[in-house]
Amino acid sequence: MLVTLDPRDDRPLYVQIVDQVRRALLDGTLRAEDPLPSVRELAGQLVVNPRTVSQAYRELEGEGVIYVRRGQGTFVAPTIHPDRRERRALVRGVAERAVVEARRNGLGVPELITMIWEVAAEDEGAGSPPVSAVIRGEEEGAA
Amino acid sequence: MTHTDPRDGGYAVATHGLSKRYGRESALERVDLRVPEEAVYVLVGVNGAGKSTLFKVLMNLERPDAGTAEVFGLDTGSAGPEVRVQVGYVPERQDAPYRSMTCARLLQHAAAFYPDWDHAYADHLIRALGVRLERRVGGLSKGETRRLQLVLALAYRPALLLLDEPTEGLDPVVRRRALALLAEHLADAPTTVLISTHHIDELESLADHVGVLRDGRLVAQMPREELQRTVRSYWLEVPDGWEAPVELQPTGLQRSSAGRDVRCTLVGEERDVSQRLAAAGARVRQVTKLALEDAALAFLPEDPS
Repeated sequence: MLVTLDPRDDRPLYVQIVDQVRRALLDGTLRAEDPLPSVRELAGQLVVNPRTVSQAYRELEGEGVIYVRRGQGTFVAPTIHPDRRERRALVRGVAERAVVEARRNGLGVPELITMIWEVAAEDEGAGSPPVSAVIRGEEEGAA
Repeated sequence: MTHTDPRDGGYAVATHGLSKRYGRESALERVDLRVPEEAVYVLVGVNGAGKSTLFKVLMNLERPDAGTAEVFGLDTGSAGPEVRVQVGYVPERQDAPYRSMTCARLLQHAAAFYPDWDHAYADHLIRALGVRLERRVGGLSKGETRRLQLVLALAYRPALLLLDEPTEGLDPVVRRRALALLAEHLADAPTTVLISTHHIDELESLADHVGVLRDGRLVAQMPREELQRTVRSYWLEVPDGWEAPVELQPTGLQRSSAGRDVRCTLVGEERDVSQRLAAAGARVRQVTKLALEDAALAFLPEDPS
């Protein structure tokens, strides 16, 4: 799993880490029982305050996504599937940011949704994979 | 809640009304610094704002003219030695009393002085930072000196690190490695860090507290989250001849050629600021989070000159 942080992103840094772990679970980069980098490793890699990493891991642990094996490190929970709940949490975050942005620009949600479909269709026409990839991901998640 | 007692538990460093003058120049002016234990506190300010003077007072290398400073509740003036063994200090300038010593000899010297010197960790740092042990201290370049100083400051895992421009003179690769070592260091042991830098962006994800020194005064001091929540960039649609309300401390004002669009940095909770803007006739188009450096700059307005 590779994590990157964007200081200008409105989400706090620990939320960015949490979201990227979720995303890695959804796209299969992380799977059940996979080890996560230690707090120390990730802090050094990202040059981020180790407390930020701990906070992210605590949140993921609280949600049952990861667990700590004493003296061995942190691992993805054995029961984890890129399931509906993770997917929902991730989609929700993206949607929240889009809605906030729309409101700030004086736009209504219905016109935003219409435009998302339009943009996605154009994107697909141009040969980009996003929409079809999302749909494939969903099928896998449901299977 | 305001803490007025500098001996209050929970602060690794607390100064109370600290002032220092050099002749007619005021280097520090009634500074009430509060560095919570285990914080990574970044001190921001232009050259000559008083950052290095503050570090020197904490190390008892300078006597304040007024006020007091405490490190872990110990008065830095009367308990200098007790303070020093708990502090790893990287000074802005290298005073070189050991110029003729080799790096190896100086490190041995330091290891004998600090009971908690961790030899294995020191070796790790020496390798990671590429310190050449056979070199004489007096012959080191600025960057090599910095690397040696970082080993000297970190190797006994002091409870407090005072880092005055610790990455100055380091090339970008070593700079990044030094900061990564610092992040790992913090993960290994609870440590408080007070750090000054001209490169705030490199501390973007490490800092959790920010203080801004301007002409010797601490004009802002708060958790990083609070700074980035309350100092934001606003893109506004405004009527002709519109001026930003002064109480919002506008800085970095940019006006579109037609004059109807304005972008500026404003200080305050977003909801409150938006209400005031609406009352002042401006429509908020967009509000964006600022990088740590840009947010801190809101407290360092450019000289009109």
